[in-house]
Amino acid sequence: MANEKVDVVIVGAGASGSVYASVMAKAGKKVVLLETGPDWQLGDLISSDFWGRRIKPAGPPFLLEGKNPYGYAYQAGWGVGGAALHYFANFPRLMPNDFKVKTEHGKGLDWPINYADIAPYYDKVARDVGVSGDARAEEIWRPAGEPYPMPPMKTFRGGEVWKKGFEAVGVRLAPAAVGMNSTEYKGRPACLYDGWCHVGCPIGALANPLVTYLADAKKAGAEVRARATVTRILTNPEGDRVTGVEYYDAKKESQIQEASVVVLAAWSAQNPRLMLNSATGKHAKGLANASGLLGKYLTAHFSSGTSAIFDEDLQPYMGTIGAQYFSYDRYDKNSHKAKGAFGSTFIVAGSAQKFSALGGVANARGDLFGAELAAFMQRAARGYTRIGAFGEEMPNIENRVELASDKDEFGMPLGKIVHSYNDDAVALFNANFEEGLTIAKATGAKEVWSNRGAMPTIHLMGGTIMGNSAADSVTNSYGQTHEIANLWIAGPGLFPTSGAPNPTYTIFALSLRGAEHLAGSWSAVAG
Amino acid sequence: MDPIERRVFVQGAMIGALAFQVGGVETLLTPRQAYAQSVPLRTLTAEEAKTLAAVGEALVPGARTAGIVQFVDQQISIPPDEALLEARILNVRPPFADFYRAAIGAIERASGTRNGGRGFAELNAAEQHAFIDDMRQNKIDGWQGPGAPFIYFLLRTDAVDVVYGTMDGYASLGVPYMPHIAPTRSW
Repeated sequence: MANEKVDVVIVGAGASGSVYASVMAKAGKKVVLLETGPDWQLGDLISSDFWGRRIKPAGPPFLLEGKNPYGYAYQAGWGVGGAALHYFANFPRLMPNDFKVKTEHGKGLDWPINYADIAPYYDKVARDVGVSGDARAEEIWRPAGEPYPMPPMKTFRGGEVWKKGFEAVGVRLAPAAVGMNSTEYKGRPACLYDGWCHVGCPIGALANPLVTYLADAKKAGAEVRARATVTRILTNPEGDRVTGVEYYDAKKESQIQEASVVVLAAWSAQNPRLMLNSATGKHAKGLANASGLLGKYLTAHFSSGTSAIFDEDLQPYMGTIGAQYFSYDRYDKNSHKAKGAFGSTFIVAGSAQKFSALGGVANARGDLFGAELAAFMQRAARGYTRIGAFGEEMPNIENRVELASDKDEFGMPLGKIVHSYNDDAVALFNANFEEGLTIAKATGAKEVWSNRGAMPTIHLMGGTIMGNSAADSVTNSYGQTHEIANLWIAGPGLFPTSGAPNPTYTIFALSLRGAEHLAGSWSAVAG
Repeated sequence: MDPIERRVFVQGAMIGALAFQVGGVETLLTPRQAYAQSVPLRTLTAEEAKTLAAVGEALVPGARTAGIVQFVDQQISIPPDEALLEARILNVRPPFADFYRAAIGAIERASGTRNGGRGFAELNAAEQHAFIDDMRQNKIDGWQGPGAPFIYFLLRTDAVDVVYGTMDGYASLGVPYMPHIAPTRSW
């Protein structure tokens, strides 16, 4: 069934899709967002680790291969708001040393832009969604920008007790920048520090899309269609323009949505899956894949967590799941060169702790069970806290998304994610554990330990990387594909390198930059 | 948007209970209540339930009466996109019942092989502890089925869920639950 043609169809109603929808709708364009999952409302965000799983992926699975299979479901989105419905809302930026890694170190890749190109958009996003933090304090690591619109969040003992340890190793801390309200902002209330951010903030104090860009987009006339699963991007016979998308609606009936511009904002793995599945005679390897790099250069973050139990009552269940403090003092790519490591490390301290689920206190000692686990839970209930050191993985062309032979209910091949860490990453993972333990011991805590387990895969970036030409990348710096002017990509898939911090602030900023460019060059792009 | 304050979302207060079949009538209960009322199982067999209860209790004391069997059984009997199981987060491919059957079967086979035909529920506490510790470390020879450490992790998470992930569980630890939207009286 064909629908009335629109100006822009956006695939995915998460962080990046919401930004595009807001900008384009405000520019007067007719916008439709197609979202494969449910249409969540704030009232669906129940404060429970059980019920929080409802907003995690439930669509056809990605098949996982490689030495370090990419465990995506904890972090990925499902439904309107996407992963940003349950993200931690840490808002660190990439740093100037992230953008020319290949040139400066002979490893990884270069971005086609510099920090100065994205910095104004970090500031704009902060104003748009509300960021709490202390810009001056973090400017010991980056060029100056605008102050954040709200002061830093409250701190709690679970964060404060780490200060002594960090001082002992010369690591400076700044109040963490977070996409949460330390004060009322734009009619949204201040945070209550109940610590349930990771299952969704129903009061609107956390800057999820439902209360920020998506709300703006709807107000400006954008339409959101939930339970709409896109399976193909459609092209003209010449193969030089996209004409819309094919999708299945909530009744599982086939639909066509024509559009002047298609924006793929469906996540780093799903965008390449769609583009590969949209191959035609003119694009035999998948859309916009002359480089052969579609689906390639996936990167992930890994966290080396260190835990401690203190004798005092830290009230660990209080605060936010986002960090209280962060540090870029190990952000130099060679910070742990002596340990054979390469890549940046981003350090966080002092998040709220709940007790079950993947990131809960019970899993801080995954080796314990029975009476030992019960005793641990009682000890940890009041005295537990942890820090995290997030490491950067260098891009590797072998880490990729490709199509599998198995198909989903609509006949679309499943995606397969192949991912393995290299020696640099493993060395950085180990070096960060070593330093974390040194920090923890210097705090005077009663018990300290490393949260060692299988090397985690946190966040997924790359797969549709930006670059200077179709020879080395899939899109330009705005997310416009090199080969098809009216096919755009948004989200972390654009990142040529991952840096080490949480990616969503950068996703918002890059999306805003891309969307404003699209709006400003509409006639040339839309034809 | 209108100002929203903590705990005004009372409309969500009852949607945290699970739908169990009691006497042919769909009834909202917590797993603990379902255990207490001996709600009939929908998918697991009695033997599978016996093993799961024993494994759950050995992993996390209190899991049996907290309703681990009733929780898992109810969850693997509903559409997978409605499931609240950690299996969903750990990329277990639906239908989830297949995984749980395979996991329980693997435990029973391995227990029988190394304990003279005795199933896990028939082992004494020390034997159960040793078995689980070996599962955790992938040290059980001839294991057949989903990976033993993965089963350990997943069933342990289910047990932690029903014992510590509830409002009752937080109370047992002496810490406040502090919900924005309360799941139910105890969920």
